[in-house]
Amino acid sequence: MVFALAITAIFAAFYFAYPGLSDAKPEEKAFVTHNGAVMRTTGEVLDPIYTSQTVEFDPDKYLRQFNYGRVSALPDGKVLREFTIIAEDDKMMEVSPGVFYNVWTFNGTVPGPTIRATEGDVVRIKFINNGSKSHTMHFHGIHEAEMDGVFEIVGSKGQFTYEFEALPVGVHPYHCHVMPLEEHIVHGLYGVYIVDPKEGRPPADEMVMVLNGFDTDFDTENNFYAANSIPFYYQHHPIQINVDELIRVYVVNMVEFDPINNLHLHGNLYHYYPTGTDTVPSTYTDMITLSQTERGIMEFKYDYPGKYLFHAHKVEFSEKGWVGLFLVKGDSEETEYGN
Amino acid sequence: MEISKTSKAKLVASGVIPFAFLVIMIAYIFGPGADLLGLGVALPEITIEKVDFVGPEIVVTVRNTGPIPVEVVMADVNDRIQPAAIEPDRFLERFESATVRIPFDWNVAEPYIVGLTVGDGTRFEKEIAAAAPALVPNIELASFFAVIGTYVGIIPVMIGLLWLPFIKRISKNKYHFFLALTAGLLLFLGIDSIEEALEVSKESLAGSFNPVLLVATVTVLSFLGLYYSAEKLTKRAESSKMTKPVAIGLMIAIGIGLHNFGEGLAIGAAIGLGSIAFSTFLIVGFALHNTTEGIAIAAPLSRGKLMVGKLAALGMIAGAPAIFGAWVGGFVYSPFTSVVFLSVGAGAIFQVIVIILKWIREEGDRNLSSAAVASGFAVGMVVMYLTSILI
Repeated sequence: MVFALAITAIFAAFYFAYPGLSDAKPEEKAFVTHNGAVMRTTGEVLDPIYTSQTVEFDPDKYLRQFNYGRVSALPDGKVLREFTIIAEDDKMMEVSPGVFYNVWTFNGTVPGPTIRATEGDVVRIKFINNGSKSHTMHFHGIHEAEMDGVFEIVGSKGQFTYEFEALPVGVHPYHCHVMPLEEHIVHGLYGVYIVDPKEGRPPADEMVMVLNGFDTDFDTENNFYAANSIPFYYQHHPIQINVDELIRVYVVNMVEFDPINNLHLHGNLYHYYPTGTDTVPSTYTDMITLSQTERGIMEFKYDYPGKYLFHAHKVEFSEKGWVGLFLVKGDSEETEYGN
Repeated sequence: MEISKTSKAKLVASGVIPFAFLVIMIAYIFGPGADLLGLGVALPEITIEKVDFVGPEIVVTVRNTGPIPVEVVMADVNDRIQPAAIEPDRFLERFESATVRIPFDWNVAEPYIVGLTVGDGTRFEKEIAAAAPALVPNIELASFFAVIGTYVGIIPVMIGLLWLPFIKRISKNKYHFFLALTAGLLLFLGIDSIEEALEVSKESLAGSFNPVLLVATVTVLSFLGLYYSAEKLTKRAESSKMTKPVAIGLMIAIGIGLHNFGEGLAIGAAIGLGSIAFSTFLIVGFALHNTTEGIAIAAPLSRGKLMVGKLAALGMIAGAPAIFGAWVGGFVYSPFTSVVFLSVGAGAIFQVIVIILKWIREEGDRNLSSAAVASGFAVGMVVMYLTSILI
């Protein structure tokens, strides 16, 4: 009897060691690997690039969405821009297909809405904290001490109204400034604040790219990197631009844990305006390096149509999602069929 | 009649009532009393059990070893995300396993860290010291393993058996010394097997298998199973042609055979993992080491008639499993089975030790306290230790 038991145990051991011999699926699918080879499988494909996107946050929409607020005129003639920002910290967001992570959000998204004003406008932000933790909004820029969002902690269900003059011209980040600060930032409480010069900038196809990452297993290293939250998104959904049209990209680096991030553009160079505060570009390059919350404005035009890569030349980041494509469309329609 | 019926009912009731209370208690704990348990947060856990380098792919065997179902959503090599396929699918129930195929242009002998990410973003990884192409079962390789198994298992045991005529001619006291020496050798082997089993389980077996308790349970079960059947065998030996020394010799051969299976596994797995230098060490070391196993079989047999055929058969029983071990280790290695086999081997060896000690007592040394027994035991351990340094 004991011997029989021992034999049963050994067979059970074999079952544990070599299971899954039974339920085989006959249908076969194929997918393309990084180096272009085709691989076939009867199982499922694990691929953040080539599978259809199921994620809720839309990086395409975010890319060109600028929020100017409710505009009215103050008695002294200044323009008043009013915004309502609600903070929450209980949302589960699919940050990459199949990966669900608890994000802390301004107005429900990471990054939060891009706030845009013109130099000298009065920006008034009604901040509501619907989260379970304390949060604030700290804007980079010039303002009074009590509008800094550092010492005026807004508790759960609390409110605060920030009001300041839009200064200086450029592109700036805003983020929560409650301790532990890094935790509040990496969970997603950040966004972009753009101050346009009074005279405006030349017309262009404008877009915002927030370089960010997610540490989904809390080991103080990012598991994913992206431009606008979703890894590999713009590689799978190239950003469509026109040949010979001026492109202006507001770039803000919000990556934590890593000392630097960078941005390399293929087949082209760009004029770069650090922080966007100066009207003269500091350099003409295809490669900039950004430390935490460093930011700037890139301007370029493509002379030739086609697909062009842009990515972190810190290749680790690009292989973990921070990579995308510009699809430059030619003006053949106009030249061939146009007036 | 009536009295016996009521007493029978009482007997059943007295057995069932406590059981009913037990059921109620468990139902309460998982039902209305669930708060008492305060189960905390159940975290997903997967274990990467095996990584094979097959053609242009890295093939990963993964098992859900946590308390909750998991979804494997991403694969990476050296922390760089790679597109991959998972078969049969990415949803793993408890203890279910899947194969992840990562197309990757790997380089021979380079180290790799393979990672898998589950649905909540937690990443699990396994490091492979040096990539080597997975062994493909073919005749050539199978016969190569057979030759190695022969060198490691059969030949050394046979050489050890050649000491039989010598042991036959010595006095009873010296004979006890050799029996005790056998027990010492075996004790060392038993401890060695357990150590090996614990090491394998520590490296590649998930905590949810309770590896240490698995080793203990399998060892005890195999000890009990073999002890029980050995008693039957020796009893039958008394009435049949098989003499008691042969029966004990057979037990020893089986015990050593199981151990040699484990040694074969180690060699096969080492070659499979591409650590050629390590596998060479194992081959040379085990071969030398196993000569002493021949002495272990020879010692009890020396009191029976010399039967060359039976002796050769026992040598084969003890030595040949090394060949099977090498095949299994090289072609279908799984940490779980090797832990189980090593533990079975340990149990078998401990059973043999008990039989030998019993036999020495029956032969006349009641307290096992003679100088011959004590020194034999000690010398056995020391010899094994010294030869083990070679491995």
